[in-house]
Amino acid sequence: MSILNETLKAMIHDYNGLELSDEELELVRPELESYFAELKKLDDLDLSDVFSGRLMQLPD
Amino acid sequence: MPNVDLLRMTISELAPMIQNKEVSPVELTEAALAEADRLQPMLNSFITILHDRAMDQARESEAAIARGDYRGPLHGIPMGLKDNLATAGITTTVGSKVLANHVPDEDAEVIIRCRDSGAIFIGKENLEEFAAGATSNNPHYGAVHNPWGLDHIPGGSSGGGGANVAAGVTFASLGTDLGGSVRLPGTFCGVVGLKQSYGRVSQRGLMVTSFNGDHIGPMTRSVADSALVLQVLAGNDPLDPSTVPVPVPDYSAFLGKSLKGLKMGVPSNHYFDLLDGEVESAVRGSIAALEEMGAELQEVSLPMMEYIGAMRISAMADGVVTHEAMLKNHREDYGPDVFYRTIPGQFVLGKDYSKSLRVQRMIQEEYAQVMQQVDFLITPTAPVPAPRIDAQYIKMNGEDHRIRGPGSGLISRNTSPMNAVGLPAITVPCGVNEVGLPIGVQFIAGPFEEALLFQVAANYEQVSPSQGLRPAVAVGA
Repeated sequence: MSILNETLKAMIHDYNGLELSDEELELVRPELESYFAELKKLDDLDLSDVFSGRLMQLPD
Repeated sequence: MPNVDLLRMTISELAPMIQNKEVSPVELTEAALAEADRLQPMLNSFITILHDRAMDQARESEAAIARGDYRGPLHGIPMGLKDNLATAGITTTVGSKVLANHVPDEDAEVIIRCRDSGAIFIGKENLEEFAAGATSNNPHYGAVHNPWGLDHIPGGSSGGGGANVAAGVTFASLGTDLGGSVRLPGTFCGVVGLKQSYGRVSQRGLMVTSFNGDHIGPMTRSVADSALVLQVLAGNDPLDPSTVPVPVPDYSAFLGKSLKGLKMGVPSNHYFDLLDGEVESAVRGSIAALEEMGAELQEVSLPMMEYIGAMRISAMADGVVTHEAMLKNHREDYGPDVFYRTIPGQFVLGKDYSKSLRVQRMIQEEYAQVMQQVDFLITPTAPVPAPRIDAQYIKMNGEDHRIRGPGSGLISRNTSPMNAVGLPAITVPCGVNEVGLPIGVQFIAGPFEEALLFQVAANYEQVSPSQGLRPAVAVGA
């Protein structure tokens, strides 16, 4: 997933009023990309039946 | 006894001598403060050295013993405190410029417990800015240097504590561990680092932290000393809802017990997948040593570890909320690593945060099942020995891995899982690499099974190749 610099700048400004340069956005991107990468890994994981009281189906 | 001999001892060795008035807390504290002053230009391990307060405490401590009020093994023992633990009337910076002049008006619960046990606090120790990283290369207070190799990091974020315990300045230091920040200085500095079960020790007074997975734990020179410090720290705190009212056993009573028949789980995935060769060799040696001592090896599989990176998602969101007010008002006071690593947290969607918590649950369930099969797990603590202070990347398996700032995570890949799971874990030195940098082995036990953890770790410590090794900068080394 790629987000345009202008979009990032606008969201960061809206959230906390910070102004970031294009160079600074390049320093933000590694952490953002790690978020997208970890999220992508979850695509093949079924999280629909995960809840605090579920049975574990332990092997005999 | 000459100071050089006193400073080499452990708490377990010193405590009976203090109780019997063979060693004076005043002389011991003077020696520790002198050593702190001597090594500070080399290690930069303190943000504040508490000369006057420590001597006042030492005199009170000695007077208490003289009137028969001995309070236990920490009585008269000089300790260090990470500078993110609130200390009443003493500047507590959290390693930041934002809080450079912050003076709390009350003590953290762990400080109260240690003080009531007679411990003496000789200083507030240097750390990563806001404890948010694994290098202890602080942009405001300077880098902490590893006593085993001054060009290398001590690990982080509790790097000052690890360096001080290893160099013989403090006999124990309290650190905090949100992703390995006690255990990584433990392994890189060649000392024992404990992250006990989540809920075992109060976090009240741990500043600028997360709701999910932070712990206050000790770094010590021996496993027995770790047990003594946990004995003081452990227990329910009615004012900290994260603590659990589980009875606290006598940890020291488990130290001499045999390992015969205990099942030792060796993970077949994740923990040994990305590893420096010398680290792997040292940890495989530890496994063999424990088998010789009677532990039964059993390979275990942890397939959910493939998704452990999802914990970053909730951590990112947590981080930006923690820093929200300070970011708005003190942007210019942030160092680049923390600033650029924190900002992206605002992009985490609520549904992704919830997914991250579900993954955390699945990982916790998997460990719960595995701990039904074995008594403890053994893993390398860190995938590499201490990197150089100026390193930004480490090349492993043909790839560059960032070791600090945005996108980093290699150093903590073997420690951070237990912050998500909440199980107790301890690192014990298990040798050095070819240039003399320490390597650590990590033991993990079931929930609130710290006593078993000490039993395993103490047995291993007796045969560890690290026995008797000290860094060259330490007095008398």
